[in-house]
Amino acid sequence: MKRNGKLLKAVCAAAAVVLAATSLASCGKKGFDSSKNISVVAREDGSGTKSAFMEIIGLKGKADVSGVIIATGTAGVLTEVKNNPLAIAYESLGYVTDEVKMLKVDGVEATIENIKNGSYKIARPLNVVYKEETVADGLCKAYLAFLQSSDAQKIISEEGYVSTNDSATEYKIESGLSGSIAISGSTSLQPLMIKLAAKFEELQSGVSIEVSGGGSGTGYKNAEEGVSQFGMISEVFDSSKAASCTSYEVAKDGIAVIVNKANPTESIALDKLKNIYNVEAGDAAVTKWNQVG
Amino acid sequence: MESAYGLIRTKEAFMKGLFLLCAVFSILALVTITVFLLVSGIPFIAETGVGEFLLGLEWAPLADSPAYGILPMIAATLYVTALSVVIGLGTGLFTAVCLFRFCNRRLAVVIRQMINLLAGIPSVIFGLFGMTVIVPFVRDYLSPNGVGYGILSSSLVLGIMVLPTIVSVSLDALNSVPESYYEGALALGATKEQVTFKVMLPAARSGILAGAVLAIGRAVGETMAVIMVIGGSPEMPTGLFQSVRTLTANIAMGAMELSGDALSALIATGVVLFVFTLLLNISFSMLKRDKTAGKSKGVLNDKK
Repeated sequence: MKRNGKLLKAVCAAAAVVLAATSLASCGKKGFDSSKNISVVAREDGSGTKSAFMEIIGLKGKADVSGVIIATGTAGVLTEVKNNPLAIAYESLGYVTDEVKMLKVDGVEATIENIKNGSYKIARPLNVVYKEETVADGLCKAYLAFLQSSDAQKIISEEGYVSTNDSATEYKIESGLSGSIAISGSTSLQPLMIKLAAKFEELQSGVSIEVSGGGSGTGYKNAEEGVSQFGMISEVFDSSKAASCTSYEVAKDGIAVIVNKANPTESIALDKLKNIYNVEAGDAAVTKWNQVG
Repeated sequence: MESAYGLIRTKEAFMKGLFLLCAVFSILALVTITVFLLVSGIPFIAETGVGEFLLGLEWAPLADSPAYGILPMIAATLYVTALSVVIGLGTGLFTAVCLFRFCNRRLAVVIRQMINLLAGIPSVIFGLFGMTVIVPFVRDYLSPNGVGYGILSSSLVLGIMVLPTIVSVSLDALNSVPESYYEGALALGATKEQVTFKVMLPAARSGILAGAVLAIGRAVGETMAVIMVIGGSPEMPTGLFQSVRTLTANIAMGAMELSGDALSALIATGVVLFVFTLLLNISFSMLKRDKTAGKSKGVLNDKK
């Protein structure tokens, strides 16, 4: 009798817990309502994706819009957009999964093709600038050949960037190479360049590559003055900033605008997108989904 | 014989030294942390200006002209903490009363065990629960504008997290009220409810307050669970359904990514948080001293 009572209580408690959990969980499934506020999702300060996105849509160095939800890391952004029907977020194209929906920007789909041909707007080239005589022979020539090789393209795609060199061939290891290369400039290209440099050092033992930041301005300046063999810039090459240099496009950085699958919106105009993320938009601010239309 | 004594004495001295070292170690850790915080935080606060740092409304460490105002974060911390302690104290106090005299003994044991279990759940799991259950629920059913993250969600999660502290400290406080109070009041013709609410609870007041202070400490310092449900927008709290950022969330969100002045600003935020918790600790030990003084005046000890 005693045992039965205890058992009954335990069963009741377990049933109550399960019931509560299921009823709460089922509450989460509610659809999209265009009259409600857009849940603007952004990345934490210092994120490379955030600074790239804000720079491309013309909001470089601006604060986040009021009511923003800060998601930490790529996974945090994707989880939030997957679960929140009202969310909008940005993410490097290479990391977007099919659990979320990518919006067209100005009617152009975010695909590798459209980023390569330049029709998709939220993308930018990541270039290295150098002097022709630097890469005439020796170590720097080998490194430039490596950047163009299929080994490099593989890393570029793996890291979530858009590789622009389709007809790349495998890098041929040269014997007897030694010495060091200094590369500096854009912090947007820096993480990728560090990965590429590490692979090159692995292929060509005895070579060391120093990759440092400083920004695109530093990249132009150091390449022009010969402080670094290669300068990194995250914009279209402007020859007036480094007259004696040429550039090579290492990769493109494409950022997708993502929303929840329940969201019927298919396309967003670039200026609307800007007004969603612009803290200084004033009356033009877009805060509800029915303003996006 | 003598050599044996000598050996024992050396051993004794050695062990004494070892224990002393262990005791000093924790003090050393405290001093090191305090010095680290002050040395790396204070110069930054001084440079920015105390007023601008503590009362500034804008937080934009990476903007072209950086701003380091943490008043929105202080306000959000106070707001969320107050609300969560109200939620926790409301439920927790009545739970303690129920477990104290109104509940079947065996069921009381089970409930108490469950509550202890609740205390042992890692905070990240509370955060996960908040993020996947509470936030969508608030967003879809309670919020007028479709905002799930923010003050209400955080307070609900923290309210659940501080429950075990409040229940166990309140229950201990109730149990340490001398039995004679209870019996005396009953003998005067008071009902069980009257005794509990009019005699026992007031007598256990300082213990319950100490529990509330402990709960406040936990709510102020909680980071992981909060960061997952708070939203994170550094703005002044104005409503329940709004993405805000607490002091702990501010530190945790930026610490891995920021460097230079922005990182110093986070450490300075840590100094403010440290002062907060220090004040709470001091008030807790004052309340506790008050409580023990009160208890020694009691005639009987009811511990069985």
